[in-house]
Parts: sequence; C-alpha cells; structure tokens
Amino acid sequence: MRITTRKLLDRAFTLCAYFAVALMTLFLLFVLLPIFGKGAGAYLFTGTVEHRRMLLDQFNRGDAEQFSAEWADVQQARRPIYAAVAAFEKELPGLPAARRKELKASYKEIRVGLGVLLGSEPGKPLPALTRGLYGQTRWDRAQEKVSNILYEETWDYSGGAGKRVLVPRQPLFEGTALAPIFPLLQNNLRDLLHPRFTFYPGFLIDKSIDAHFFGGIGAEVMGTLYLALGAMLIAVPLGIIAAIYFQEYATEGAVLSFLRSCVNTLAGVPSVVFGLFGLAFFINTLHVSPGKSVLAGALTLALLVLPTVIRSSEEAIAAVPRAYKEGALALGAGQWHTILTVILPAALPGILTGTVISMGRAAGETAPIIFTAAVSVGRMIQPSELLTQPTPTLSWNLYNICTEHQAVEEIRHVQYGMAATLVVIVLVLNLTAILLRARVARNLKG
Amino acid sequence: MNTGEHIILSAGEKTRRRIFGLVGRSFLFAVTSVAALAVLAIIFFIARDALPFFHEKGVAAFFFSKAWYPAQSPPQFGAAAIFAGSLLVTAAAVVLVVPPGVCAALCMSDILPFNVRQVLKPVIEMLAAIPSVAYGFFALVVLAPLLQNAGGRVLSVAWWVLALPMLALGSVVAADLLSSQRLSETSYRLVRGLLTFLFLALSLVLIVQTGNRLGALQISSGVNALNAAIILGVMALPTIVSVSEDALQAAGRELREGSYALGATRAETLVKVVVPAAISGIFSAILLGVMRALGETMVVWMASGNAAQIPKPWYNLLQPVRTLTATIAGDMGEADQMTGSAHYHVLFAMGLSLLIFSFFCNLAGEWIVARQRKRLRGG
Amino acid sequence: MRKLLLVAGLVGGCAMAQAQDKLVLDGSTTVGPIAKAFAEYTMRQSPGVNITVSESGSGNGAKALLNGTCDIANLSRHLKDTERKAMEEKGVKPVSHVVAYDALPVIVHPSNKVKGLTIEQIRDIYTGKITNWKDVGGLDQSIVVISRDTNSGTFETFKELVLGKEAKICEGAEYAGSNGAVRQRVQMTNGAIGYAGLGFVDHSVKALEINGIAPCTTTVVDKTYPISRELFMFTNGEPKADSLVAKFIAISRTEKGREIVEEIGFVPVSEKK
Repeated sequence: MRITTRKLLDRAFTLCAYFAVALMTLFLLFVLLPIFGKGAGAYLFTGTVEHRRMLLDQFNRGDAEQFSAEWADVQQARRPIYAAVAAFEKELPGLPAARRKELKASYKEIRVGLGVLLGSEPGKPLPALTRGLYGQTRWDRAQEKVSNILYEETWDYSGGAGKRVLVPRQPLFEGTALAPIFPLLQNNLRDLLHPRFTFYPGFLIDKSIDAHFFGGIGAEVMGTLYLALGAMLIAVPLGIIAAIYFQEYATEGAVLSFLRSCVNTLAGVPSVVFGLFGLAFFINTLHVSPGKSVLAGALTLALLVLPTVIRSSEEAIAAVPRAYKEGALALGAGQWHTILTVILPAALPGILTGTVISMGRAAGETAPIIFTAAVSVGRMIQPSELLTQPTPTLSWNLYNICTEHQAVEEIRHVQYGMAATLVVIVLVLNLTAILLRARVARNLKG
Repeated sequence: MNTGEHIILSAGEKTRRRIFGLVGRSFLFAVTSVAALAVLAIIFFIARDALPFFHEKGVAAFFFSKAWYPAQSPPQFGAAAIFAGSLLVTAAAVVLVVPPGVCAALCMSDILPFNVRQVLKPVIEMLAAIPSVAYGFFALVVLAPLLQNAGGRVLSVAWWVLALPMLALGSVVAADLLSSQRLSETSYRLVRGLLTFLFLALSLVLIVQTGNRLGALQISSGVNALNAAIILGVMALPTIVSVSEDALQAAGRELREGSYALGATRAETLVKVVVPAAISGIFSAILLGVMRALGETMVVWMASGNAAQIPKPWYNLLQPVRTLTATIAGDMGEADQMTGSAHYHVLFAMGLSLLIFSFFCNLAGEWIVARQRKRLRGG
Repeated sequence: MRKLLLVAGLVGGCAMAQAQDKLVLDGSTTVGPIAKAFAEYTMRQSPGVNITVSESGSGNGAKALLNGTCDIANLSRHLKDTERKAMEEKGVKPVSHVVAYDALPVIVHPSNKVKGLTIEQIRDIYTGKITNWKDVGGLDQSIVVISRDTNSGTFETFKELVLGKEAKICEGAEYAGSNGAVRQRVQMTNGAIGYAGLGFVDHSVKALEINGIAPCTTTVVDKTYPISRELFMFTNGEPKADSLVAKFIAISRTEKGREIVEEIGFVPVSEKK
C-alpha cells in the first residue's frame, strides 16, 4: 500500500478513536443533562401562592403573618371569578333548555378546571382528596391548566389522523354571567396565583402528600439511606475478615482457589437472582421478618456488594508495603496484633474507598429489593421498625411513580427530582471514593 | 525500662497463644467460607425451587416452545421467545458498543495525553455508577418518545454520520489496493483515480438509498429491542472500556516500540500488534459486558415492551421483545408459592438459567485469564 | 445504673412504638389509588397509625392474604378456585368487601379516529386476527396491542368478559405492569389500544364505545356498559367490629369515602350496608 494511503488510514484511525471517546462523553451528557436539568426543577422552580399555602398547612413552614397578607390579596383578586361562577349558577336553570344543554358539559369542565387551578373554593365543602385542596403549586403547570379552562380540546378527524384542535370557550359563554372570567384568567393569572421564584429544599426531607402530588421524597430518601447503611453494616465486617484471611492466613491450595472462585461467581450473579434468593431464603426459609422488611433487603444487598468489598479490601491490604508488616513482626508482635495495629490502619483508606463505592451500588439497586423490602406507599420509617417493616426507596419508587402512578404527567417533576436525587447521591459517593483513592495513592507513593 | 518482664515465653503462654491462634484462624476461615458459600446457597435455593417445574412440565417445552401463556388453563410455559429476547437485546447491545468501546480504550491508552486520561477515568467510573433505574427512567421518558416520533430520522442521521466517512475511506483504500500493479506512472494514477471515483459513487448511492429508507421508517412503538439495546450498551460500555484499557496497557511498551521501529504507523501498530497481544483481555472485557447486559433488569422491564415474541425477521430490533429478567421481576407477583404453582417455579427456572449462564461466562473469563498468564510465563 | 435505666427506657420506647397500630395492604394496581387515598385519610385522622400499601397485582394480594403477610388484600377480580381451595386448606376464611365499581374502558390514542368497536372486534384485535386499524375504520396503521401482566386482576376480568376462556392473546402484544403503565403507553403511542380502570382514563387517552355504549358512571351503575366489575378488599374472616381493619373498609361506605372514590374516578358504592 502506498505510504499516503497508510498515513491517511492512520489519521482516520486517530479520528475514529477520538470520536469514540467523544461519543462516550456525549452519551453521559445526553443521559445526565435531562435528569439533572429537570431534576433541579423539583428544588428550584417558580412556585405559586398555593405552594406556600400547602407548605404552611401541611408542614407548618413559612411566615404565617406574611402569608395571610398575601392570601388576602389573592382572595381579593379571585373574588370576581367566584362571583361570576355563583351568578352563572343562578342563571343557568333560567336559560332555555337547548342553550342549557349546550353549556352544561363545558361549564362542568370549567368548574373542575378552576378547582384544579386555584384549589378548593372558599366557603364550599372541602374535597375528600388532599390534591383537591390546593391549586397548582408550580407556575408552569398552572399555565397549562389555564389553557384547559380557556380552551376545549377537540380532535379533528377530517384529515385522516386526528389533529388536536383547541376551541376557545369564551365565545360559547358570550353574554352569560360567566363571560368575565375568561379575560381575567387570560390576562391576570399572576394576580390570582402570585408566582415567585421558590427554593424548596424540603423536597428532600418532606414526606409525600397524597401520592406525591405535594410534598417531597423524604420517606424514600430515608429508606434508601437505611438500606445502604444496613447493607454496609453487614457486608463490611464480613468482607474485611474474608480479605484478611485471603491475604494473610490462607495457604495456596485447592480450598483457597475454590473459595476465590466462589467469590468471583458471586460477583457475576444477576441482581434479580439476588432478589429471588432473598425472597426464597431470608423471608420464606429463615423468616427473618414477617414479610418484606428493611432487614431482609439489607441482607440481600449485603450479599450483592460483598464481592466488591472483599476485592477492594484485598487490594488495599496487598498494597500495604511489606516493610510495615516485617518491621512489626521483627519487633515481636504476633500476626494478629500486626494485622490489627499496623496493616489494617494502613489499608483503611483503600478499604474505605471500596466501602463507599459499594454503598453507592447498594443505594442504586432496585431488583434485589423489589421482593424483599420495597413498598409504594408508607410513612417514613422509624429506626424501631427497621427489623420488621418495609420502606419506600428512591430506586423502587422511581420505577413506581413513572409507570404505575395514576397521574404520571402531573408528577413529572417529582420523577425527575427523585431520579436526580438518586443519581446525585450515588455520584457523590463515587466522587468521594475517587478522591480517597487519589489520596491513598499519594500517601503510598510518598 | 521494663523491669523483670519475660521476653521468652513460658510453656503455658506458648500453648495459650497457639490455641488462640488456632481458634482465631478457624473463626476467620468460618467467616470467609460464609461469604464464599453464599453463592452455593444461592444455587441451591434457586435450583430447589426451579427443579419442580422441570419435573412437572419437562425441559423441552420450556426451552423450545414459543407459547408463553401462564394464565391460560391449561397454562403453557414456552419460554423460547423470552430466551431469544434476552439474547437478542444482549447481542445487539454488545455489537453496538464493542467497536466504539475498544476504540475508546485504544484512544485512552495510546493516543490521549496523560492528563486527559486521568480526567477521563473518573468520567467512565461515573457512567458505570449511574443506577439502572435512572437509565430505565431515561429510556422510558426521553428515549422512547424520541424513537417513536423521530426514530427514522435519528437512525438515518446516525447512518450518514457513520457510513459516509467509513465508505469514503474504504473506497480510497480499495482503489489503492486494487491498483498497485506494475503499471506506468500515469496509467497507475489514472486507474487509481477511476477506481476511487467508481467506488465513491457506488458508496454514495448506497448511503443515500439506505438513508432515505431509514428516514422513512415509522417506528410504531418507542419501547422496543433497539431502545433496550442502546441503553444496555451504554451501561456495559464503562466496563468494556476500562477492562480493555487495562489489557492494552499491559501489552507493554516494548511491543509498541518494536513495531514503530519497523516503520509502522500508529494505527497499524495498534491494530496489528497491540490489539492481538491484548486480545484475551479484550475478550474478558466483552464477556464482562455481556454479563452486565444480560443480568440487567430495570432497563428492560421499563423499555423493551415486554412482548413475548421473536421479532419477524429475527434481527428487526424495532419490535418489542421480552427478556428473562423482566419476566422474573414482572411476574413474581402471581407466584403463589403455597399452592406450588408452576408459574412460581418457572420463574425460578429462568433464574436458574441466568445463574448457569453467568457461571459459565465466569468460567470462560477465568480460563482466558489463566491461559494468558500461562502464555506470558512462557508456557 | 444510669446506663441500665437508659437501655430500659430505649427498649420500652421501642416496645411502645411497636405496639402502635399498623395495617398492611397488598394487591391490585387498580384498587391501589383508592387504598392509598384511604390510607392517607386514616393516617391523617389518627397520626399514630402506620399503613403501608404495595401494588404488586391482584394475584400477589391473594397470596399475601393466604400467607398472612397482609391484613387486607386489594383485588380487582373474584378469587380463583385454586386460591379459594388453598385458603381453605390453610384455614384462611376470605371475606370480600366491595369498595367501588369500575368499568374497563378500552382506550386508544386521542388522534385515532375510531369511535367505537364491538366486543368481537376487540377480541379479534387482541387475538391477532385484526392487525391494522384500517380494518376497523381507522387509518392504515398497525395496531400496537397492549395488555396487562398475567398477575393482574384487570387482565383476568378482561379475559373473562371480552376474550373468553379459550382465546390466546397474540404474540406481539406488549405487556404493561399496571393500569398506569397501560395508560402511559397508549398516551405515547399513536396506534396503541389498551384497557385500564375507569379511574385511569383522562384527557390524554380516548375511551372507545363498546357496542355503542360509552363507559361512565351512569352506564356502570345501570350495567349497560358490557365490561364492568366490582373492586374488592378481602380480609381474613369478618373484621372485628371496632378494629382498624373494619374501620378502614367501612370508609368506602361513608360519605367522605364515596367522595374519595368518585374524585379518583371510580364509581362509589351506595350508602346502604
């Protein structure tokens, strides 16, 4: 082949390699940017007066005096709407039957829409579900809901595939008592809802109100933390002891290689098989708890991360310079004494790195806890209940609210918030481990 | 200064220490074997609940029949389509991701400067750490609508981006190869020019045709095998890249320096010398990637459509499929183990199949590593 | 001495915490929203109570009641004979309580111009005989069939009332794990058809008329809509008069409970016992 072609191929290959790396980073951004971008929207958003009202009522948070002043303003702005509705109610029975029929269905939707937008009408009986008590807490959702009131959504099937057509309702109600609400809703929505830039850190710690319609993901965060901590409490002692045995005490032979093969195989077992095992062994055979519980979930997760803990602890122990050990032994210390006082402390940062990475893995896993620890609704779990009660968790509940929930579109921001929180927790843990590892490498070199 | 402490141990001291040592060792051994025997317990318990199914229903129907109707009376448990689904999605993920993964590993080990590599390694670890349910959420909420509404266009753009440079390059190389004969200078140039032009024209026609056909594709359902394969590939990518990179690094500088000394370009060195030297490590990497993709549950449960069918034709990734892991996770609810229903046991049978497959993958990986070690030692 | 008192105090505190009332529900994803709303209502009235709700399917709810791992099983279908027999053998006496009525609307994407189908047409679509919307009056678009997982009471009802015992769902049918998942799939996919509880139908999907009758509260109550069913909560034996279980189930008959059911979108039971 001519030299120019070979050079061309070389250049092309280099480009190809760069492209592969760029593709990898692009994928990472492609996956993380929407999650972080919209997930931040669960904590930082334009919130309305309904959000502040909900916080005050449900969580007792906020300045009550300042709020009552604002609420009075909002009530004042809303009065014409409710007055128009009341007037229309009186007017409706008096209308001719044909006109009444025309307006009735649309009016019902407007009533429902007003409730969804502004919350329960003052002076009327409270709705049964909490989601009906408050209007839209987020300004972007509010603007969508307003268009539900102002326009009727119909589908035009004339051209084959149905096309969505928004038919304004205002002309239909021209001349009735309801007419003034339309320009009010169109132009004065800010006065009705007082949108303001809101920072809602409580999203992380508040419990969820009415199936995540309001409130936060506190119960799920606590569940994830308990499960991850529980898994590490079980796996780390077991892992360190096994690593010590492998590195310091075991002699080469069939038994050792068998044990090592077992640990390697354990590392390769699919996560859903761990879940099956947890169900079949911990819950149905050992009966560690009368049903799903954090204990059973932690045991299952501990098994999942055990090989990683063993591997990283072994590496850490092996990386301790032989000089340390030999020095200690030369001074007359016994083997166990050496391990406890010299080797383990020196290997500690490395062991910690592996522990932190495994904790991140345990926090993010879903399949092992589906059958052993996770429920979709529950109060925030108390420490006294850890041995017997299941708990909501970030990983399982993310799946639950983005597939099974009754109103998936309404709580999109909660889904993104949960995904972002979970990813942030795991990434922070991993970053800590990476920094630890860098420090360990520096220490051991110098 | 210590006063009167014995440095030499008495006989009693010695026996006491020996007993402690023995007890201590046994304790350590016991704890370690618990950790190691967990895997045996897993195999035992999964097999224990899986074997009743095979006793009752036999092996043939499970593996070779496509009729999956567990709620019918009488129920049918033909899992062939589900096995096919798992294999299809895993194979597609690996095919999609191994070439760019190995190229990225090559880039990191040989082309990129050291600082960039140090920054890139944490990036890869972060990709690996993202929880699978977050990937599944992304697949369902972002990728599925994208595939459904603009799938044809996305595929055709991807096709153009990949095929144009590759086919153009291929045309030039092919023309060069075909015309290195002993001709006079001008006729050589003429022949080469003509061939290049011919190949380029053909490639262009092929690209445009396929591009248009792809662009006109209507994907009826955004949750399908392609969606799952893409996300599974992204999940397996960090494993493949980091293990391949380790293998490439281990191939040694002498190999590379020798090749450069003989006048090879960097591309030729990497492709013809380094990669073959590290090939067993790369195979291990691919194997690990396969294991990761096969055992993944949440992504396929949320984004593969869960249709127990073998797509027609078998490589049509745009149709929904069902995998073993998603079936276990999704169907476990019905499992009434107290009545010992076959449905409960068949799910454990699937778990057993997954377990056995991963076990064999592990064995294959260990065999490759052992063979490589033997070869390096000079065996 | 102080340490002992501290430990005793902790243990006592834990014991007291354990002695609080708790209620475990498990089962159908259709009844799930109702159960969750009732749970929140109860927990607000009595803050010491802890109620957990799992939604893993009617089949799993029945199994949980059988094993004693739940207090109330939510089911969107009747108990199967096999389940009843297993319960008899174990000494569990299942008592059903109707908490709401439901229709099973067949839903399609709103852009689909088909307005209604007959039960035979639906059966043919689900068994794979009809594969394109143009065969039933729609556009030239392949039908994406979405069904429920086999651990679903909704699926059992659909099979019983529409498909018939012998019919097998076509190979290419996608399976979704819950009502919400079906609704989401149909909402995202132009050519999709699926079925979900009445409480899950909203503006984002279109409910078809079956044999000319549209699903809504009136057609469910007077039983003109051909696919309607009852939603149950099963207990082990008749719940004791003043127990938490009895109070929980009785919510469905109070005015507040009926309002809750209606607001969620299902059809409440009548006031009388």
